Amino acid sequence: MATRATKKTVKKAAAKAVKAVKKVVRKEESAPAAVKLPALHESTTSSGLKVLAAQRGVLPLVAVRLVLRAGSSVDPADKHGLSDFTARLLRRGTAKMSADELDETIEFVGASFSVGSSEDVLSLFVATPAEHFPEMLSVLGQLVREPSFPEREVELARERALAGFVNDLDDPSVVADRAFVRALWGDHPYGHDVGGSKAHVRTFTREDLVRFHRERMGPRVALLSVVGAVSPDVVAREAEKAFAGWEGGPEAPVELPPADMKTSGRIILVDKPEQTQTQVRIGGPGFRVGHADYFPAAAMNNVLGGGFTSRLVNEIRVERGLTYGIHSYFEMMNAGGVFGISTFTQTDKTREMIDVTLAEVAKVRAKGITPAELKKAQRYLAGLYPLRTETNESVASVISDIRVHGLGDDWVEKFRERLMEVKPKQTLEVAGKYLFSQPPLIVLVGKASEVKKQLTGLGPVTVVPASDYE
Amino acid sequence: MPKAPANSAVRKADPVLQSLFDVQEATLPNGLRVRLLANHDTPVVSLYTFFQVGSRNERPGITGISHLFEHMMFNGAKKYGPKKFDQVLESNGGRSNAYTSTDMTVYYEDFASDALETVLDLESDRMRSLRIDDDALESERQVVMEERRVRVDNDITGTMDEELGTLIWKAHAYRWPVIGWEKDIANITRKDCEDYFRTYYAPNNAVLYICGDIDPKKTLALVRRYYGDIPKGPSPVPVLNAEPVQKGERRAEVRHPAQSPALMLAWHGPAARDEDTLVLDIIQYALTKGEGSRLVKKLVYETQLAVSVMVDWGWRVDPGAIIVYLELKQDSDPRKVEEALYAELARVATEGLTERELQKAKNNLRADHLRELATNSGRAHAMGHYEVLLGSWRDGLTLPSVYAAATNERVKAVAAKYFSPERRSVVTLIPTPDKTTDEAADGAADGKDAE
Repeated sequence: MATRATKKTVKKAAAKAVKAVKKVVRKEESAPAAVKLPALHESTTSSGLKVLAAQRGVLPLVAVRLVLRAGSSVDPADKHGLSDFTARLLRRGTAKMSADELDETIEFVGASFSVGSSEDVLSLFVATPAEHFPEMLSVLGQLVREPSFPEREVELARERALAGFVNDLDDPSVVADRAFVRALWGDHPYGHDVGGSKAHVRTFTREDLVRFHRERMGPRVALLSVVGAVSPDVVAREAEKAFAGWEGGPEAPVELPPADMKTSGRIILVDKPEQTQTQVRIGGPGFRVGHADYFPAAAMNNVLGGGFTSRLVNEIRVERGLTYGIHSYFEMMNAGGVFGISTFTQTDKTREMIDVTLAEVAKVRAKGITPAELKKAQRYLAGLYPLRTETNESVASVISDIRVHGLGDDWVEKFRERLMEVKPKQTLEVAGKYLFSQPPLIVLVGKASEVKKQLTGLGPVTVVPASDYE
Repeated sequence: MPKAPANSAVRKADPVLQSLFDVQEATLPNGLRVRLLANHDTPVVSLYTFFQVGSRNERPGITGISHLFEHMMFNGAKKYGPKKFDQVLESNGGRSNAYTSTDMTVYYEDFASDALETVLDLESDRMRSLRIDDDALESERQVVMEERRVRVDNDITGTMDEELGTLIWKAHAYRWPVIGWEKDIANITRKDCEDYFRTYYAPNNAVLYICGDIDPKKTLALVRRYYGDIPKGPSPVPVLNAEPVQKGERRAEVRHPAQSPALMLAWHGPAARDEDTLVLDIIQYALTKGEGSRLVKKLVYETQLAVSVMVDWGWRVDPGAIIVYLELKQDSDPRKVEEALYAELARVATEGLTERELQKAKNNLRADHLRELATNSGRAHAMGHYEVLLGSWRDGLTLPSVYAAATNERVKAVAAKYFSPERRSVVTLIPTPDKTTDEAADGAADGKDAE
């Protein structure tokens, strides 16, 4: 293979260059070495699909991500889970190939296709050996252009999904997450699990999928990113071949109503009587992706419950041994976001866990974090940031996110600079805004008969059976 | 037992892999082995420390000590006291974690390349002079109990897996769970921990792997400076594999509140170093890798007996087990599913795979192998993994050539040898009714008829 000899040389040359640069940087001051994306090459297919290509890496591999702005938030009101379900059925048959033929074509060469569903977008991921990139891109084109949704495949997938919902009830953390999403967002398009529910999925028909594909999935709400051992010219050429003639879908992404979260100190207690442990979720409103509060909030959250030395981990795990894991997070979506805390503890410690957690949150809300803590968080987040551009897959993800959410093409390059500029005062401001200034929603999954009596004085409690979350 | 490879002639290093692994190696006078691999693509470094100890080195009464001890390694040493390890690491742009398995205990850090010296200082401090005090031990014991509750007692697959281990192994330490038995965890003493540390955390029982934005020569000098004065420890007692030959199928039931039945099965397999191991990799891929694989197609798509099927052929130092897990439908009859599974396995033993299936498995093994090596962390981990299990990280470079040379005759022979009823253990999950609290039942009558 000629490519091998070439790559070896390139690698050595690159290595030398980086070393030389680093020496200079270190002499000046300890500013972090620059993190840069590989050069991005843009093109548009005749069908209107935008394409981003970035050539990189020494391994003969390519990662592809096709993003469609057709996530679970555009599920019809009585068909929760349809977006995810439709995306998963794409590879169960096209105009030219049966499910078996597709499986064989993809899997024989060692490639893999997968689906990622979120509230805002659907992502189709392809990982392939570089020599099979054209063939795999052609398959991806078929999947989105001409899926056939065979009746029998739809039926089988529906049966499997329904069986899956039943078995999910055995996983307390899945039940907790579902209950949390539903209670937090209510009737908002974000208020259901991306996979839907048993009652809705049960009604899915082939026609539902055909309609969703026709109305929601099209080139004008899509973005293709290709990263790895392939030249931008080849990417543009093969994308044209693979996606020529792709039609349908909306002109522009659907605008969602703004978030209107009602948390008000409610407690949902989901009963799973065989549990010896309680799953705990606490949350309230956060902010949308790309919001100006991102950097101060990221730094503040790292101190509160992000890293392994956070205040929550220290108080709950290290000092009290109440749990194996606790973390807080900001979840950011297009129309709004969540600030949440996720953990678990043994049944009889449930109240203590909640009290200690809320007390830690209240401390940060009132007094913020110290300058030393802020500095630590900044160095931590900045030091590890380069890992987000380490693989073809992660580069493909970050470049699509930048475009889909309008973060700006200098997002990666400026990330650490913006993070380092955060001042203590800003972290106090975001803490005041997001750390439960209104009483949060609390979701508990565990043995209700033991847990309920511990909750006196905490807020109104509703006890529900786990089967509500099938 | 390890034996001379039957077809060692085919073992040669893969050229793509070899070009990635331009590794500098050294052994310090105290026995610490060091492997350094430069990669300047991004300004980050991964450091892995592999200790050759796991639940395999334990004995009844202190099961779980390897894992509990892994937690204790984060609770302070002489220079960097309690909580300091992660505080110092994180404030220098790094993160850490660790895991324990039956055969190894592994610590790793990813960090900005200018934190290298600090990380070596931190890691060598805890290898040299870990502090084991009673308060930290008590607190960490509670954390591990909570981890046990989440992984085993409140997780059906965890419960089944624990049952299966005791069926497969009668004498070998693989019999108990890595996390340990609850009462053993409660009874481990500070003295147990101190003895354990002296023996298994000595430099001569460890290997460092440093991959990323480093200068290998300077890095080796730093390693010598920080680790050079740590004294050598006693040689660990070799683990005796006293496992008797299994004489027939072993079965157990787990009765637990659950929605659907499930099956977890195992067959006694070979040790990682055995050539059969790689043929079993191929069989595993043919059985469950991808939608078109044999078991997924047969059990999930065609007969629809199962919701999912998974094969776990995990390499181990001593002879391990090939484990199959089947998540069933509510009305599936586990016995029928077993029969369908055995028929598929018998088909591999008698007919082998098609040439295309064989090639497909090889293509996928290669692609996955390459993907694993895409990051510094992946490369460092792969080296450590191969060194513990195969004896040398270099053996990892030759795997593609061994896979490529595997024939259908070998596939048939290996399937016939291992998938026999005499090597089999079966755990069936029998769902028992869930006694819902009265109040919840009253409060949601409409939720109930969803059943």
